[in-house]
Amino acid sequence: MSTFLEVKNLHVTFPTEDGAVLASNNVSYSVALGETLAIVGESGSGKSVANLAVMGLHNPHRTQISGEAILHLPEGPIDVLSAAPETVRRLRGKAMSMIFQDPMSALHPFYTIGNQIAEAWALYNEGSKEDGIKRAVEMLDLVGIPDAAKRVHEYPHQFSGGMRQRVMIAMALVNNPSLLIADEPTTALDVTVQSQILRLLADLQKEFNMAVILITHDLGVVAEVADRVSVMYSGRIVESAAIDEIFYNSTHPYTRGLLNSIPRVDNHGKGTRLRAIPGQPPSLISVPKGCAFAARCEFISHVPGGLCIASNPDLLEKAPDHYSRCHLTGAQVIDIAAKNLAHQDNGAK
Amino acid sequence: MNKLIIRRIVATATAAAFAAGVAIGGGATPSTAATETPVTGGTLQYFTHSEQFPALDPANMYTGRDIAFFGAYIHRTLVQYRPVAGAAGSSLVPDLATNTGVPSNKAKTWTYTLRKGITWEDGSAITCADIKYGWSRAFATDVFTEGPAYALAWLDIPEGAYAGPYKKTGQDLFDKAIVCSGDTITFKLKRSVPDFNYFLTYPTTGPIKASADTGDKYDLKPLSSGPYKIQKYSINDELVMVRNDKWNKSSDPIRTPYPDKITVTFGLNEDVRDQIVLDDSKPNAISLDALQPANNIKFFSDPANADRRMNNYDPYTSYLAANVSKGHLDCLLVRKAIFFAFDTQALINLSGGVVYYGEPGDSPVKPVLGMDYAPTTGNIHDPNYKIDGNPEYAKTLLAQAKKSCPTAYNRATNKSQGVIYYRADTAGNKKAAVLVEAALAKAGIVVNTVYKPAGTYNANLTAYKKQTDILSGGWGADWANASTVIPELWGEGCCNYTQNKTTNEYKGFIRNVNKALVELDREKQAKMWHSLAQFGMDQYWYIRTVFGKSQQTWGSKIGGIYYWEPQGSFGFGQIYVKK
Amino acid sequence: MIKYVSQRLLYTVMLLLLVSLSVYFIFDLLPVDPARLVCSKQCTPALVEANRHRLGLDVPVLQQWWNFIYGLFAGRNYAEGAAALHCPAPAFGYSFSRHECVTTILAKAFPVTLSLAVLAFILWMTLGVSLGVLAARKKGSIFDKASTVFVLIGTSLPTFLTGVLVVIFIILKFNLVDPLEIGNWSNPFTDPLGWLSTFIWPAATLAFAYAATYTRFTRSNVIETMTEDFIRTARAKGLSEKIILRKHTLRAALAPLATMAGLDFAGLLGGAIITEKVFGLDGLGGISINAVTSSYDLPIIVGTTIVASAFVVVANLIVDITYAFIDPRVRHA
Repeated sequence: MSTFLEVKNLHVTFPTEDGAVLASNNVSYSVALGETLAIVGESGSGKSVANLAVMGLHNPHRTQISGEAILHLPEGPIDVLSAAPETVRRLRGKAMSMIFQDPMSALHPFYTIGNQIAEAWALYNEGSKEDGIKRAVEMLDLVGIPDAAKRVHEYPHQFSGGMRQRVMIAMALVNNPSLLIADEPTTALDVTVQSQILRLLADLQKEFNMAVILITHDLGVVAEVADRVSVMYSGRIVESAAIDEIFYNSTHPYTRGLLNSIPRVDNHGKGTRLRAIPGQPPSLISVPKGCAFAARCEFISHVPGGLCIASNPDLLEKAPDHYSRCHLTGAQVIDIAAKNLAHQDNGAK
Repeated sequence: MNKLIIRRIVATATAAAFAAGVAIGGGATPSTAATETPVTGGTLQYFTHSEQFPALDPANMYTGRDIAFFGAYIHRTLVQYRPVAGAAGSSLVPDLATNTGVPSNKAKTWTYTLRKGITWEDGSAITCADIKYGWSRAFATDVFTEGPAYALAWLDIPEGAYAGPYKKTGQDLFDKAIVCSGDTITFKLKRSVPDFNYFLTYPTTGPIKASADTGDKYDLKPLSSGPYKIQKYSINDELVMVRNDKWNKSSDPIRTPYPDKITVTFGLNEDVRDQIVLDDSKPNAISLDALQPANNIKFFSDPANADRRMNNYDPYTSYLAANVSKGHLDCLLVRKAIFFAFDTQALINLSGGVVYYGEPGDSPVKPVLGMDYAPTTGNIHDPNYKIDGNPEYAKTLLAQAKKSCPTAYNRATNKSQGVIYYRADTAGNKKAAVLVEAALAKAGIVVNTVYKPAGTYNANLTAYKKQTDILSGGWGADWANASTVIPELWGEGCCNYTQNKTTNEYKGFIRNVNKALVELDREKQAKMWHSLAQFGMDQYWYIRTVFGKSQQTWGSKIGGIYYWEPQGSFGFGQIYVKK
Repeated sequence: MIKYVSQRLLYTVMLLLLVSLSVYFIFDLLPVDPARLVCSKQCTPALVEANRHRLGLDVPVLQQWWNFIYGLFAGRNYAEGAAALHCPAPAFGYSFSRHECVTTILAKAFPVTLSLAVLAFILWMTLGVSLGVLAARKKGSIFDKASTVFVLIGTSLPTFLTGVLVVIFIILKFNLVDPLEIGNWSNPFTDPLGWLSTFIWPAATLAFAYAATYTRFTRSNVIETMTEDFIRTARAKGLSEKIILRKHTLRAALAPLATMAGLDFAGLLGGAIITEKVFGLDGLGGISINAVTSSYDLPIIVGTTIVASAFVVVANLIVDITYAFIDPRVRHA
């Protein structure tokens, strides 16, 4: 698999009256064609911010961006962060596409969906308006909208939420992009619809051999489709690994917290109590000197000398191709977590 | 009713009808009229803030400005005032008639003979029947309600028996009261009316051609008998008059038309109107309105404008009527105390000076009425009178009142009650009220000013007059005879706000008024008015009178302009446009 | 749709009936007696009564109103005998101060008001929308700040003041129009220049105030729309900023403006009272204010009120229907 997008040392800062908000702090990740990278985190963790920067969708007057985001295009690599805005615009929709969380508001209410898809198609294709509509019908068929030839002339509000997200996907894929960034694509949808959409995304990814970045706060979603996972917390990536590593050998207390907060039916056959992570993420304006997660971390007592408060751990490879940002070693984390689980299970009895 | 204000539409202090009098100093009519040769031709323009004339139909015409205006241009009458400046302007001259009227039967019958060759704008002759028809319309009170009612009061027809030419009820009675015989027309009256012929200067007494009468709509295009005719009359837009080629100079001894065309522009914004006058941007135009007070003072204080303005006594006397009925100001000493405590100078200063305010008066009859005016004694001629108030003297009067009429005294000096003074709620009145209250307070008199809505103040005077102690009003005579003043203001006429109806003294006064009304000897009649005016002033029925003034302005290319005293307006007929 | 429209029409008629009824009751309650106001200086009680009969005020107020409604459909006669007058249906009454049927007066006044409204509408929409869009696009710039100043001045200066300022400091100062010709009616089809010279200044005066409101409204709507998700979608598609503005932002930002503009325009069709008065225009606003302030002409007041209300109510209906075409969400609701 060849790497398509490579993000390196991405910083995104929003200057505000109260101070600069460092929303994305030295973030690096990459995704290859045919691969699905899930970026996971709570809202405000910077997962959307980083990807909007890649798409060039931040207001340049109100955002400071540094770092690199290289697209490996057939005609050669290009750093979209330093490229001219017009160049990046011509990559949008064609090389990279994005779909958003709320399909209710992401489609223009005054235009038919056919019109909106055809408009995207016409940007990179020669052809009449009819050709565009024809292409839209094909795409709607592809994303599983029944009776597409008729529905292509309808308006967004005439579609259900799931159908609208299908329309969004159809629109995003109409120009065969190499990268699809899906920003919480299922969050606003019913649970049953969620998995349909995720399956659709997975199918389409195979068909088009796309690189997909799935931004989500929901590890359940990740489990279904992701190949690799990067977990973000407070603007930083705190853990990054293949999907199974994350689920079974997570080496970061925050990821562990996230895993504990989702319902799971695993092969232990035991019900475990769901636990939310206590507390709130720190402000992004005055980033603490130490570990950003320290204030909420259940493992902090295992780190001697107040190290968590004093210094921020680096993102280190704790296992092969498994990176984690914690003062504890990977083995320590796994060990402590297992003890806690046993203790909790005893308590439950 | 106070005709100055009750008239609708006349937004500014233009004149109502009144007659005759002597020239008063202070005002000045430019002397250009006498020395320059009038120019024939050109367009003469008038402009006004009003959206229309109150009336073009003679039957509804009552304001002096309009009578002067339309009388000069389109409406001829049997007699007219002489169109000259000064006192001579108040004498009568024949117009459609060959004489100014021959009275007989103790002035109960008046006879006129029509001139030869008088025509309408359609070329047809003006006949005696037209005059008669014109008079009949005044009786159609279902159609016309705004003209003078003298015809109804005087013609020898029982009250309400004749309903006018449209319904024709009682037509036979009317036909007996006005009789045509060839060119001779005879009016038969109920009582002696020695000044009947002055009434004949009113257009409502002029001719109307029955076949051209369109009732209420006649107002929009009356048929002309004068040197001009109406080409266009569009309300809130303009009136255009052009020369009437059927009019014949040989049949009209008093009119010499100069301009080819006369226009009146209606509905000008007041600021635009004033600006035109201030800038002289329309030199061949005349403002029919007075300027707004601030602009007026500005214009009149600039000597550069001396040839474009005049300032004269208007036809009005304004007054404060004391309610002398029981329980109000029924004590002469209290009324006198109020009179002497008044600070007139403060009010003069408030209005910008005596030039705009007018002068303190000594009678309801104004000097412009000529022989009917004579200075009274007492009031402003009293040695104790001071123009800026004499609170000390007022106090001595009050001290006497305390003994002789304690009830009225207590009322006037009691803080919780005071002298009730109903005023219209305007900014100017509020300023004046402060001055009045302060001046009277110096003498120990409490004034309780009650503000009433300005828009409906005049319509409610009849109701207010019974509640208030003081009511303000203004009055102008209909012609140069105090018969149109004293009976109306102090007698049984429309506008007696003194509320005095019962005392024997007052009954005697009324008997004398009614005697004066029918007195045929004009000199003797005048003397009777003098003593009646003196009587009322001695009673202090009016606790302040002012002889008002009015200001007129025009463009620099206007010639032949003068103040026509009997109408309190321009003598429109002699105005021309300079080359 | 047909059912909706007919329901609305029925409601409109009811509303207009109510409006006319309230006008009659309000004037009945006022402490002014029109019969006395147009009565001679030598007014007698008999004359006042005759006048009251002539004006049709000698019957109970409900009867007066009913006579008015009846006249609207059947025409009406005024005065009696040889002086009788007839106003054919729809008779709004007869004005004894203007000596004409009110319907005729309204018909004459309407083109004046329409001219003013149309010209003002064009001016303020052009100016307001373009300023608003520019200010929104250059938010925070000097231009945006200047537009804020314009909005403040425009919304805070009363029309009677701007009108007088325009007349005195522009028209008179530069001698642009003969002061006596201000407000003269010219037919726009036979004398377009004359028409324009009459209406451009009052229209500009009106447009000044409206444009300020529309600038503010447009600016905030555009700014708000630019933050909408569907604009981000459009950008993500790769559309150029120009197309995003024209096709996506403005369409959504200006749709609510259509409602406002329709209602404002309809309001003006009822007469711009102050502007017409200042510029001496004899439109519906001019005649109504004159009818109230000087001649107390009840039939004209009722007529102009009804016509103005009818415009607003009907415009509401039209705007609602039109909006359904602009915004598909309303159409299918």
